[in-house]
Amino acid sequence: MTGFIIRRLGQAIVVVLGVTLITFILLHLLPGSLARDILGNRATPQAIEQFNQQNHLNQPFFVQYWYFLDQLLHGNLGYSYQFNRSVDSLLKTDLPRDLVLGGLSLIFSLVIAIPTGIAQAVKRNSAVDYAGTGVSFLLYSMPQYAIALLLIQFLSISFHVFPAEAPQSTSAIGMLEHPAGLVLPVLSLTLVTYAAFSRYMRSSAIDTLAQDYIRTARAKGLPERLVLMRHLLRNSLVAVVTLVGLSIPLVLTGTLIIEQVFNYPGAGLEYFQAALRNDYEVMLGITVLVGVITVVGNLMADIGYAILDPRIRY
Amino acid sequence: MQRFKRSTLAIIGVALVVLFAAACGSSSSSNSSSSNSSSSSSSSSAGLATSGPGLTQPTTGSGSKVSGGTVYFTEGSDAPPNYIFPMYNFQVCSTTNANQLMNMLYYPLYTYGENYRPTVDYSHSIGQAPVTSNGGKTFTIHLNPYKWSDGETVSARDLVFWMNVMKASPATEWCGYAPGYFPDNVVSYSAPNPSTFVITFNKAYDPEWVLYSELSQIFPMPMAWDRTSLSQPAPTSDNGSLPDTTKSGAAAVYKFLDTQSKDLGSWATSPLWSVVDGPMKLQSFNTDGRVVLVPNADWSGTPKVSISQLVELPYTSEAAIYNTVKSSGPAGATIANIPSQYAPQLSSLGAEGYQVNKAASYSFNYFPVNLNSNATTSPGGEPVRYVFRQTYFRNALQHLVDQQGWIHAFLYNTAVPTCGPIPFSPPSPLVDTSSISFSPCSFSDATAQQLLTSHGWKVVPNGTTTCQNPSLCGAGIKQGEGISFNIDYQSGVVAVQDEMNDLASNAKKVGITINLTTHPFSTVVATGAPCMPSAASCKWTAENWGAGWIYGPSYLPTGEPLYNPGSAANAGSYSDAQMTSLIGQTITGPLSGESAALTTYAKYVSQQDPVIFGPTSVGTYGGYAATLISNKLAGYSANALGFLQPQYWYFTK
Repeated sequence: MTGFIIRRLGQAIVVVLGVTLITFILLHLLPGSLARDILGNRATPQAIEQFNQQNHLNQPFFVQYWYFLDQLLHGNLGYSYQFNRSVDSLLKTDLPRDLVLGGLSLIFSLVIAIPTGIAQAVKRNSAVDYAGTGVSFLLYSMPQYAIALLLIQFLSISFHVFPAEAPQSTSAIGMLEHPAGLVLPVLSLTLVTYAAFSRYMRSSAIDTLAQDYIRTARAKGLPERLVLMRHLLRNSLVAVVTLVGLSIPLVLTGTLIIEQVFNYPGAGLEYFQAALRNDYEVMLGITVLVGVITVVGNLMADIGYAILDPRIRY
Repeated sequence: MQRFKRSTLAIIGVALVVLFAAACGSSSSSNSSSSNSSSSSSSSSAGLATSGPGLTQPTTGSGSKVSGGTVYFTEGSDAPPNYIFPMYNFQVCSTTNANQLMNMLYYPLYTYGENYRPTVDYSHSIGQAPVTSNGGKTFTIHLNPYKWSDGETVSARDLVFWMNVMKASPATEWCGYAPGYFPDNVVSYSAPNPSTFVITFNKAYDPEWVLYSELSQIFPMPMAWDRTSLSQPAPTSDNGSLPDTTKSGAAAVYKFLDTQSKDLGSWATSPLWSVVDGPMKLQSFNTDGRVVLVPNADWSGTPKVSISQLVELPYTSEAAIYNTVKSSGPAGATIANIPSQYAPQLSSLGAEGYQVNKAASYSFNYFPVNLNSNATTSPGGEPVRYVFRQTYFRNALQHLVDQQGWIHAFLYNTAVPTCGPIPFSPPSPLVDTSSISFSPCSFSDATAQQLLTSHGWKVVPNGTTTCQNPSLCGAGIKQGEGISFNIDYQSGVVAVQDEMNDLASNAKKVGITINLTTHPFSTVVATGAPCMPSAASCKWTAENWGAGWIYGPSYLPTGEPLYNPGSAANAGSYSDAQMTSLIGQTITGPLSGESAALTTYAKYVSQQDPVIFGPTSVGTYGGYAATLISNKLAGYSANALGFLQPQYWYFTK
């Protein structure tokens, strides 16, 4: 296992470097000019030249890329011209809050989806299964935006149960100190995530239920509860673990819509705004981070397989 | 002066345009009547669509005055404050910085725009009316007694400090910078005594222009800032050797203050930024943009602040602003700027406990056409610049813009028709706009057709209009040539999309083909830059960023940054000797002729159409559809230039 992890980490460095290079190339193919965008049309040619010089934007592509790598190796993700802050500082503020939003949603969706999926599998083609499938399809097919707005309309505007905006704290702890404000954003994200997870869980559980060891366990007279808990649950989770591993980057950066609607500042929104403003270094910084997180997420999923299924060896 | 975008916060300068534009919610939702908009004729003169309380008279509230209370103000959705040092450069030249933060902390030499008039307010300014001498070159300004919060007097030396740093810093990056003007044209400045500031320019200018466009760019700076590190003690007296007295020292001071201003997390605790001469002090600031301001107990101006707090709230989207207003009402947002897309719901939003205020900022909308474009009218054809350079063609194109129809169909009556660089609203006593007609910009495809026909074109409605008489068509245009060009417009703003589709449709009626492309705002702005015909980047033909120009930090509506050859904001490279001359007269003419000179200039612009004018949004803060003001908040009146002035506000029972 140790050798596997070392190999995967080595691969990760290559992957992340490749991601940075491709992203760098793509960003430089974008039309427009960072200097004109940041300084505005009124900026004089001298001001634009000075800006380009200060930020190495008048250097050849690979020189610029080298400057980027150099600062990256020194732990510096760059500077946001739009926000007038370092990218490190932006992410230090945003990522913990995203972790609260995405993490809570992920946990809640798993807590609901796993038993629901198993129940649907066990009661396959029953009213319970149909109802669960209907709810999942409905939620899965609804745009995140629509779910969020519906929740706001009913629970905030019409009945004033929960606030329409998230807590306005710059720290994760501060966000958690105002749980009422977290309910709607977390619920919106949970409903969408739950819909996907429950389908995977149901499908995986159905496959597992058909396995010989389940039949054997039942034939031995093991109570159904123990069959499900000891034999079905663990073996059915492999598919969900894959999904969770792939979801980890989204936990941190994939909540753009929720961030917009609930006034929840986060990395997804930063990336979106940076893309609109040609704020290269923010995009690069977040891309590198997401690349690293993706690799780590996959690594964790691989390790999870080994824990869940002793037959898997690395 | 600056451009602004209807869909985002107002920005100062064209750099402001970018930030401002980003913040001013412009678009509206799609409208089924879009295809019919051209049917509405717009031959009427420009009307003022502004309305509501708090324009020239402050709001009165709903009962007797109570002291204290917190005002919650909604910031724009994508431009949180990110700079606090009032010598802000292009990069941080936004209204959220200048109008909604700095101006309340650091009082400028002169204040402008109170009670919805784009004029100076001497009664609330540090500077008294300037006295000219030396043949109109020298301005002597006596200062009213104001105090810094650290107990020091606001003195003429503080103005010299500003000038020293401005001259030593990269002045070319200053938000208000235009080559040849402030501070390039300042020959000398001095403080003969603590309450007298003297500034001399390189030649005699119109005193009004100096007051509104040059002196407007000066802020006193406290002596406590005259240092190059925080470890140095704050100076308490001028011993003649303060850092700013040498050019290198002043440059070091600028660098220090700039660096400190970029350390956003330290603002609230900084010993620098806590020294203020404005009505408010910064109590807290978080990097998301949440600003908490409290009254400056040592403020020496009037009136004294009645509210106990002003909280500026950052938002991640326009939808989030709307949600807050709908769910919390005035308790969550005392003053709320409503994005244009929610204009149809203004009435219902107002019913949440607000007064609806529609007040245009001192601005106008347009989009440039490139008179240097090297794009051709057809494959292998001649460059389209030859067509754009014809005044009659630009006039014809302007007549195809159905402003009244757009305002009604796409903008939900939250815009005013525009036909030139001098805003009709807010009205300025400095300019006689009564004789400026909207008719040069009235919608009429018949007039457009007549203009083309009378200049040698054979108009083929819904076909291809071609030049039949090159001598009449104009220089560079060949016989048989058609008219086809591209308009690139900002993506994501439905109103702009509808407007451009309508314009293309109207153009087709007179045989002009307009192809439409769309890009993000920043790309459109960046593409629409002045260029030479030989440059590869000069292929662009027309760029519409859904924006325009807002006056600030130069407040006299003169045209030197807009239509003079070589001006950075002259995106289309328009050049006309008479225009340059008329602009010159608005700057250097005698005071007695200033109003007439501005009127003459404005009329000439509307005849020339150096750019294509479009409807200008109403909404004090950068083109929003309107501002909602809590029924309980009194003393609010829209500032014509978009400044927040909490010293006038108070709550009522």
